[in-house]
Amino acid sequence: MNEKAPLDRDERISNLKGMGCSRKRVEDVRFTQGRGNYVDDVKLPGMLFGDFVRSPYAHARIKSIDTEAAKAIPGVIAVLTAADLAPLNLHWMPTLAGDKQMVLADGKVLFQGQEVAFVVAEDRYAAADGIEAVVVDYEELPVITDPFKALADDAVVLREDLEAGADGAHGPRRHHNHIFLWEAGDKTTTEQAIDSADVVAEEMVYYHRTHPCPLETCGSVASMDKITGKLTLWGTFQAPHVVRTVASLLSGIEEHNIRVISPDIGGGFGNKVGVYPGYVCSIVASIVTGKPVKWVEDRMENLMATAFARDYWMKGRISATKEGKITGLECHVTADHGAFDACADPTKFPAGFFHICTGSYDIPTAYVGVDGVYTNKAPGGVAYRCSFRVTEAAYFIERMIEVLAIELDMDAAELRRINFIRQDQFPYQSALGWEYDSGDYHTAWDKAMAAVGYDDLRKEQAEMVEAFKRGESRKLLGIGLTHFTEIVGAGPVKNCDILGMGMFDSCEIRIHPTGSAIARLGTISQGQGHATTFAQILATEIGIQADSITVEEGDTDTAPYGLGTYGSRSTPVAGAATAMAGRKIRAKAQMIAAYLLEVHDDDVEFDVDRFVVKGAPERFKTMKEIAYAAYNQAIPGVEPGLEAVSYYDPPNMTYPFGAYICVMEIDVDTGTHHVRQMYALDDCGTRINPMVIDGQVHGGLTEAYAIAMGQEIAYDEIGNCKTGTLMDFFIPTSFETPHYTTDHTVTPSPHHPIGAKGVGESPNVGGVPAFSNAVHDAFRAFGLRQSHMPHDQWRIWETANKLGMHA
Amino acid sequence: MNLSDEIFIPLPRDQVYAALNDADILRDCIPGCEELIKHSDTELETKLVLKIGPVKAKFSFDILLSPDAPPERFTLSGEGNGGTAGFAKGSATVELKEVDGGTNLVYEASADIGGKLAQLGGRLIQGTAKLLSGKFFKAFAARVVPENVD
Repeated sequence: MNEKAPLDRDERISNLKGMGCSRKRVEDVRFTQGRGNYVDDVKLPGMLFGDFVRSPYAHARIKSIDTEAAKAIPGVIAVLTAADLAPLNLHWMPTLAGDKQMVLADGKVLFQGQEVAFVVAEDRYAAADGIEAVVVDYEELPVITDPFKALADDAVVLREDLEAGADGAHGPRRHHNHIFLWEAGDKTTTEQAIDSADVVAEEMVYYHRTHPCPLETCGSVASMDKITGKLTLWGTFQAPHVVRTVASLLSGIEEHNIRVISPDIGGGFGNKVGVYPGYVCSIVASIVTGKPVKWVEDRMENLMATAFARDYWMKGRISATKEGKITGLECHVTADHGAFDACADPTKFPAGFFHICTGSYDIPTAYVGVDGVYTNKAPGGVAYRCSFRVTEAAYFIERMIEVLAIELDMDAAELRRINFIRQDQFPYQSALGWEYDSGDYHTAWDKAMAAVGYDDLRKEQAEMVEAFKRGESRKLLGIGLTHFTEIVGAGPVKNCDILGMGMFDSCEIRIHPTGSAIARLGTISQGQGHATTFAQILATEIGIQADSITVEEGDTDTAPYGLGTYGSRSTPVAGAATAMAGRKIRAKAQMIAAYLLEVHDDDVEFDVDRFVVKGAPERFKTMKEIAYAAYNQAIPGVEPGLEAVSYYDPPNMTYPFGAYICVMEIDVDTGTHHVRQMYALDDCGTRINPMVIDGQVHGGLTEAYAIAMGQEIAYDEIGNCKTGTLMDFFIPTSFETPHYTTDHTVTPSPHHPIGAKGVGESPNVGGVPAFSNAVHDAFRAFGLRQSHMPHDQWRIWETANKLGMHA
Repeated sequence: MNLSDEIFIPLPRDQVYAALNDADILRDCIPGCEELIKHSDTELETKLVLKIGPVKAKFSFDILLSPDAPPERFTLSGEGNGGTAGFAKGSATVELKEVDGGTNLVYEASADIGGKLAQLGGRLIQGTAKLLSGKFFKAFAARVVPENVD
């Protein structure tokens, strides 16, 4: 038998498929063959189905609910109402924001689509017949869908359950429809700086209400085993461990008797962070009937009743010297939180990390005040593919920069450049209290400018304006600039928790005797490709091929406790835990290798997939050999096995950034647009898998494109959700989606074990202002300062019309 | 939603007015009407099946008639509930003008529609409402002016 030539070092590195390798996604084998296992694929013997009676009214008193006819329908097993849940104290549930929310309507309804009764039946059809037969007698009440009107003195009281004048979860409430005022920064200094400045730009920037709209809607299957007393709950959960703890606290079932399983999840984007009445009702129904109960919502229910995103009215002032150096920034937000405050934010931050709104700029003083307000709209306020309220912040500052450029009569790219935080200023302390870890904004910006040929684009734009003015053309060119700074990886436990649960994350690794491994994490992939990328981190850290590492998440009985996946926190937090657990494995492997090689621990060093004797690389033990010895060889002073667990509490957030430029042509007469170029440069620190990063950026940009150019959750005056179907709610298909050019720079995070910062949400954060700024920029020469998103065909036409361009 | 129209009916005004207050005629002419009960001269109750776009549901309507100036003008207002499909409420003013050879019926109606009906059928409501009122008056004319059948 011929002995194979030993692999050289580069071959060994490439065999690992570790960090930096565009390893193909291991998940896709099952996803592309229709073999995923989603909540709706869970089918249990004797399983029942639940469906909701939902309110057609946005605000109404419930005079009576008659369930008799529904119960008489063949196949209907039970109908639950608030009256049935009240004795269990489950008719209301706590929200993630410290408020409470009705599980089933208790006396009144506060938004259209609110859950009123839960019909449990033997199949979906009987359940659907059952909800038709429930007779609810409503008495209409005045509807408020405008947060400013909600704060009027004579506005109707929405939340009658809240004691008048009593403090809320985040301090004093100054009006019966007011939730909180949250402030950051120095108000007095900022007002002085702005009032005494050479130039001040003021604008109301609205980031409209939209929705994450994951392909898979929300759902759960609850199965209460009355013999063992164990509750198993499958669900679309972005944070399965948090769900287990909350379920235990709410139901009184001890936590070890609850097993929460997040199977494959078809997209989350923040929509699957919250706790929904459907989860609670399926659990109660399973306890009541002793049978498994499935609840899966349909598309309309998902869009009109589960967590929305954004809906921020941001009134800003920004000041500068005549030369364009920014001297101050002020922002007051009126935040429409809907009927219940169910925002998913860390407890101490009711406006999330909105105070990252000084962006990429060195702004000496700033102030932010956010008023949360109740209205008759669906509750929520989740981070739709962004860290908590960071999209709103990025959109605000990037619009304010553009408006300031108009005020200064200055090029917006140059205005950004002279105000960027310089590389030598990192770690940078922002005026609103953040410590930016690392950045090199000028390098990224210059690279982006050169890549798109910025100067030539401006010349072409000016020529098109002249041609338009001469009546030779009806097309305009917009150049949408954005330089965003994200803040992700929540977060340090000292200031980030959800319902009191610190936002660390975890990884547990077991190396098998033959040198393959399983790693379990507290996070849960919703399509991000964790099984691919976390194995790559480990491959590099412990020298075992990524293909020999199973990554498992989402089962609370087996995975270590973690806070889940949202806010781009998986790589910054669980990724760090993975690296740290890997290093514990390596430390023990080093002892074993030294013993096997009969040298001192300090005389061996790690080299790709093995430990070698320093200065004598021909003497080595591979990780495979070490793993086998760890289990099967008695090593004095070393206990058998090769396992490690790490719970990682990050010392700081990470601050990914990027430079995005959108070049867009607009037809003044039809309001149509054509994205000629969308250039996205991302700096997410160390890059684990460039292909997965590209995929994440493409997906995020497509969502950003949708949000900026057409997607919204709109209500009419009586509170009808007008965008409850995909006919009205814009999801781009391959037909609309523009072509993207991706690029990168690499500025590692100095405090992260592998220097990675997270990227999943950057393209949504940076993409929206890039697309929106392109629309605005096209009309800048004709006097446009601000027009609200989404920039659909009608609104663009209307903008041109108001500017007198159709005359 | 607002709706208005003008329809010529080749009958004297008194007859048109009487027909519009005749429960049997209304029951036969209202599209999808399954039941129409006249509780009094001013109170009507009707059950009808409405289909707007993908939503089909049985609605029960309570209608209140206010004969301000019979037979020249009357108003009606109503509220209907279609269960999970949603609700509708609205009012209309109907004027009957005497013209050569008959009566011109002019109406102006406004309605609020909510629930699934508004969400799914929102963009179709105006068109459907026009279609239904067209059907009603065609059937009405056929019923009260038998020789008018085409």
